[in-house]
Amino acid sequence: MGPKHPNCPGVSRRSFLADTGMGFTGLALGAMLFRDGVARAAEASPHDRIWSPPDGRPHAVPRAKSVIWIFLCGGLSHVESFDIKPELNKHAGKSIDETPYKSVLSPERINKNIIGANPNHGNRKVLMALNTGYKAYGQSGLLVGDWFKNIGQKCADDLAVVRSLWTVHNDHGAQLTFQNGRHPREGGMFPTLGAWVTYGLSTLNQNLPEFVVLGKPTGDCCGGAWTHGAGYLGPQYAGVKIEVDPKKPLPFLSSADAKTTLEEQTANLGLLGKLNHLAGIDYPEDQELAARVKSYELAFQMQRSVPEALGLERESAETRTLYGLDQPHTKAFGEQCLVARRLVERGVRFVQLFHGGGGGGAWDSHSSIKSLHSALSSQVDQPIAGLIQDLKRRGLLDDTIVVFGTEFGRSPGSEGTGDNAGRDHHPWGFSAFLAGGGIKGGVQHGATDEIGFHAVENPHYVTDLHATVLHQLGIDSRRLEVPGRKRLDMDRGQPIREILA
Amino acid sequence: MSHSIRFAAALTLAAGLWGVSAGATPANKAAMERYFGGYLSRELRACTTCHLPSNVKDPESLDDFPHNAFGAALAEAKVQLRREGKKHDLVARLALIASQDSDGDGVDNLTELLLGHNPGDPKDVPTAAELAQAPAKRAEFAAFLKSYRWQPFEPATRPAIPPMPSPGSRNPIDAFIADQLHAHGLTAAGQAPKTILLRRVYLDLIGLNPTPGEMAAFETDRSPDAYEKVVDELLADPRYGQRWARHWMDVWRYSDWAGYAEQVRDSQPFIWRWRDWIVESLNADKGYDRMVLEMLAADELCPNDDGALRATGFLVRNFKLLSREQWLEDTLNHTSRAFMGLTMHCAKCHDHKFDPITQEEYYRLRAVFEAHDVRTDPVPGVGDKKKDGLVRAFDKDLAATTFFFTRGDERMPDRTRGALAPGVPAALGGALQIKAIELPKRTAHPDRQPFFREALLADSRKTVEEARAKFGPVKDNPKLPASQRSEAEASLTLAKAKHEALAAVLRAEILEDAGRKGTIEWNTAATGALTAQRQAAVIEATANLIAAQNAADSARKKLDVKPPAATAATELAAAQVKIEASQKSLAAAATDLASAPALTYKPRTTDDYPERSTGRRLAFAQWLIDGRNPLTARVAVNHLWARHFGQGIVPSVDDFGRNGRPASHPALLDWLASELVANGWHMKPIHRLIVTSATYRQSSIAEARDLALDPDNTWLWRFSSRRMEAELVRDNVLYAGGQLDAAMGGVEIDHTQGLASKRRSLYLQVAPEKEVDFLKIFDGPNPNECYFRRPSVMPQQALALANSQLVVDEAKLLATAIAKQCLDQDDFIRGAFLHVLARPATNEELAACRMFLKNSKSSPDRGRENLMVVLFNHNDFVMIR
Repeated sequence: MGPKHPNCPGVSRRSFLADTGMGFTGLALGAMLFRDGVARAAEASPHDRIWSPPDGRPHAVPRAKSVIWIFLCGGLSHVESFDIKPELNKHAGKSIDETPYKSVLSPERINKNIIGANPNHGNRKVLMALNTGYKAYGQSGLLVGDWFKNIGQKCADDLAVVRSLWTVHNDHGAQLTFQNGRHPREGGMFPTLGAWVTYGLSTLNQNLPEFVVLGKPTGDCCGGAWTHGAGYLGPQYAGVKIEVDPKKPLPFLSSADAKTTLEEQTANLGLLGKLNHLAGIDYPEDQELAARVKSYELAFQMQRSVPEALGLERESAETRTLYGLDQPHTKAFGEQCLVARRLVERGVRFVQLFHGGGGGGAWDSHSSIKSLHSALSSQVDQPIAGLIQDLKRRGLLDDTIVVFGTEFGRSPGSEGTGDNAGRDHHPWGFSAFLAGGGIKGGVQHGATDEIGFHAVENPHYVTDLHATVLHQLGIDSRRLEVPGRKRLDMDRGQPIREILA
Repeated sequence: MSHSIRFAAALTLAAGLWGVSAGATPANKAAMERYFGGYLSRELRACTTCHLPSNVKDPESLDDFPHNAFGAALAEAKVQLRREGKKHDLVARLALIASQDSDGDGVDNLTELLLGHNPGDPKDVPTAAELAQAPAKRAEFAAFLKSYRWQPFEPATRPAIPPMPSPGSRNPIDAFIADQLHAHGLTAAGQAPKTILLRRVYLDLIGLNPTPGEMAAFETDRSPDAYEKVVDELLADPRYGQRWARHWMDVWRYSDWAGYAEQVRDSQPFIWRWRDWIVESLNADKGYDRMVLEMLAADELCPNDDGALRATGFLVRNFKLLSREQWLEDTLNHTSRAFMGLTMHCAKCHDHKFDPITQEEYYRLRAVFEAHDVRTDPVPGVGDKKKDGLVRAFDKDLAATTFFFTRGDERMPDRTRGALAPGVPAALGGALQIKAIELPKRTAHPDRQPFFREALLADSRKTVEEARAKFGPVKDNPKLPASQRSEAEASLTLAKAKHEALAAVLRAEILEDAGRKGTIEWNTAATGALTAQRQAAVIEATANLIAAQNAADSARKKLDVKPPAATAATELAAAQVKIEASQKSLAAAATDLASAPALTYKPRTTDDYPERSTGRRLAFAQWLIDGRNPLTARVAVNHLWARHFGQGIVPSVDDFGRNGRPASHPALLDWLASELVANGWHMKPIHRLIVTSATYRQSSIAEARDLALDPDNTWLWRFSSRRMEAELVRDNVLYAGGQLDAAMGGVEIDHTQGLASKRRSLYLQVAPEKEVDFLKIFDGPNPNECYFRRPSVMPQQALALANSQLVVDEAKLLATAIAKQCLDQDDFIRGAFLHVLARPATNEELAACRMFLKNSKSSPDRGRENLMVVLFNHNDFVMIR
């Protein structure tokens, strides 16, 4: 057989077509070819031969294959969830200035990392007692607020809680920062973690997108579609937003012509393959044509595979209950969590799951935090606990990383008073947790000070979470550089090695 | 510390000091590197090539490092050349001693340099194997010296056109291209078939496929200039402006306004006027230089020309409610990249790492823009600037100062440097000639223009008419309650009174504008205005009182009903409060009206602006379009070229610096740049030159031999196929179905109407988060930054073309239309190919389609519709071959 690479001399037009299995003969080659073809066409030139796009293989032995990235929009109170601070009960009602912790307010510490602060936020000095009880769970004795008692009871020893995150923005644009590491005022055109993963690794499936977005995403004010975008990597690496509703999961998934039958679509695709084959004879080297033929086949598959993946009625009653599908308050998010599991099962690399999206985000409890956080946590606690348990019992947690995050924490100080009191934005110290995919369970890493103000022990910028996830997937983010797109160390972060198993 | 480390450290220190004075010795190092290019090894890009280690304890300058034998020979050469009155720069000196053997190791200087050995060190000698390579290396280097250099920061000269070797050449472009093809052992592809060429040039120039009629006309026109005639027609076609405006909207970052709910946070409403200005300017073939002037400074250049003021949308687009810092940063960043291919923004926090731009120069350029802001002026016929207006740039704060921000941090202005004067990077040459500008009165006081007064009066008259229309049917209708009648009557009376008051105020205002304040005439007008305002106040208070009394009556009635409505008591209390308040204001207004006439009428609120402008932006724009600016014309023609060929001569269209990519054909780019300037910066002649070249007319089919040598087609041995941009996909689906609306200009069409609207895609809303799905899927423009489109292939595109309402509808319409004109099935298939793919069907294709229609289980109509859908999804539909 002659050389196969279309850039090599000696390839005959017809043999190229035959070799690549063009025409309607199923997916002979995966997304590899089509990614490679596109990236080469767009980027390569004789001036930078050294650089080539990723070949889809990991750089190191991967510990995980897939990611479920859960994001709570608006800012979850860290001191009442996974970084419990009993000192707040002790000093409640006092100004920070009157406590032993007054140094947290020094302007150098406050201003150090914040860019373009919104002065309306961050001046809450009077400490507020915890609005929920808490308990130690599991062998690790992880303290968890009662708002998340299901996660505490059922998953404590599976979690690695990182209690020392910080971010650069004191307003909800930090939602964007959490996903792509950049301050929103730089515009949004930077790739998010999901896009880097999709760009760096080849697909695990033949009939679904590699990066899927579920739930109501971040509002336009705070990053919008950029929070699951691919920025300069190009839209083929952006998250594909899917509605859980199997009747209309994504734009144009079914024909606008209601009369269209599967038979017709199959016949159309057959003719299309034939015609493209005939017209392509003159262009054997055209990888874009090959890619387009493949994309039609994937699209055709998606018309059935996407609704199939959303077919929750095929799950057992026990599983549906585990995710809370039987309860009105947990049903919506439970369905998204269950779909996330089904997608990962079917080889989707990265599922980004939003809760409370739109506007500044539902978790943004400037007032009445007690009732708001109480209601919101009751929507997600059981579904997330159910997801982790379900992944675990199916053996999927071994190679799936679940990440639970939010754009910033909430202030130890009170905003307003009485029953209406809330907590303000808090970028200086907050928490996230990870589970599965080679992450240690029952670990608490890093710490904020006694009142949960600053990250003081092993502080991590949000991109350290990105680096940790990429590391587990076997990707060295330094090898994903794109020519002309200078990335800083801060953009890429460092893996949090202390939590790796 | 070892000796060699100390030596290096001393040199680094010294280099730091020299950086400030041009002509110091590191300039020699730079000149060496420039002269040898890639032929100087890393080891020889060092001071040690010419100098020995220092014999002084703490060396302070390079004078403390003596020359080695080669350095000494160079120094002698300088003396000799100068004595002979010859050019004695480093290049001349190197040439003079090239064949000498300075260090006496038996190998001449040039050979040692090319082989990576120190020509001043007798112990550093090339091996025999290396010496065997020497003749080839020398020949290569000689060819390199003869080649045309890419020097984007040097003013462009007009290079000589290489001799035209091939009989296929049509114009100088082909000569430059052939020169490189020859050098790389490539053969130009033959001319593309007529049908392919026609479709290519139609899509390229007007963005639409040729119709079957246009194809037939071209096919039958056997005259030698048939193609040129088509090109001229297309360039004169208004659709040319629509097509190319979209390209320039990419480069200039067009964006409709975006924000949170109704709050405008990015760009501005009514910025579509700038888009229309781009279309019109291109169609009129306005010079690129003039376009640059108007976009950056129309408000200073021609403040009375409202048409030109639209152009400042280029600046307005950068508006950012939430951060003036980011607003200015974006302005600098994108002005530099769009017009100069210069990544100025890298120098915000530190001196540029790749290009000769200092951090201070960044802030000097910022000073050019520091004073500017955006505003909305009235437009004829509209009395409310929130509904429509002319959005434009102007200098708002003439005293605004610019400081150097340490590490780019606005919290750390370096006040020791003082406020910085505006300036441009010294490396580009030239300087700003700034002259402050006196602005005409109407510019400073746009709300006092007669047309705006007329619009205000017209609006108020309309309010009167509306009130009258409401009162009419109520007036004599006994069935309606009296309260309704009294309120409608009061509204009408009030509208009339307000109108009178406005008219009276405007009369006084006009006299003031004419400088007649204080005259008897003005006294009468001012007194009249105050009286009218007082009357209106009485009528308004009366109307309020009537409304409040009616509300009280209605609440009382509700109380009488058993059981009384729950809210009735509250309503009554509220109405009584209102009655009291309006009684009070009525009394006050009545007192006012009864008091003595006076001149103190309440003037209208108007937006007023400075009567001067700094002139900085105009000076900057003039510097940009000065023929001596090395970058502007090069960047402009490169943008044109990139969009005709799918690749720029400089592939990084927004970065001509060292971190960008070098020009593949520097001589051609420089020649085109000089041609643009020589043509008075008109772009149509450049388009014509490009699309009539043999290079452009080449076939896109690859020969295996050439493909192996140059797989990326850098040297243009064929035409590179490429996918249509998003807008073309949508426009051509509509056009094929006969549905495309040819209308030009106007307000942007809401992004949710993307598939319902039949307008060309450039008129659809495009803003962050407000983009048309269909276009986004096909890599539509990123409104934040889009210097060059990179077409992707993804399954969402397949779904959009196979399933969208747009394609389904157009397929049906087209199938019906073609079927009506056809005699038989083959005729139909042929017609379908012509309409959708703009090319005839081959026999094999005909057979495949026949089979498809025959096997179709649905009705013949349905089969034909499906065939049409398939053709819209054909690779050839989206590809430009």
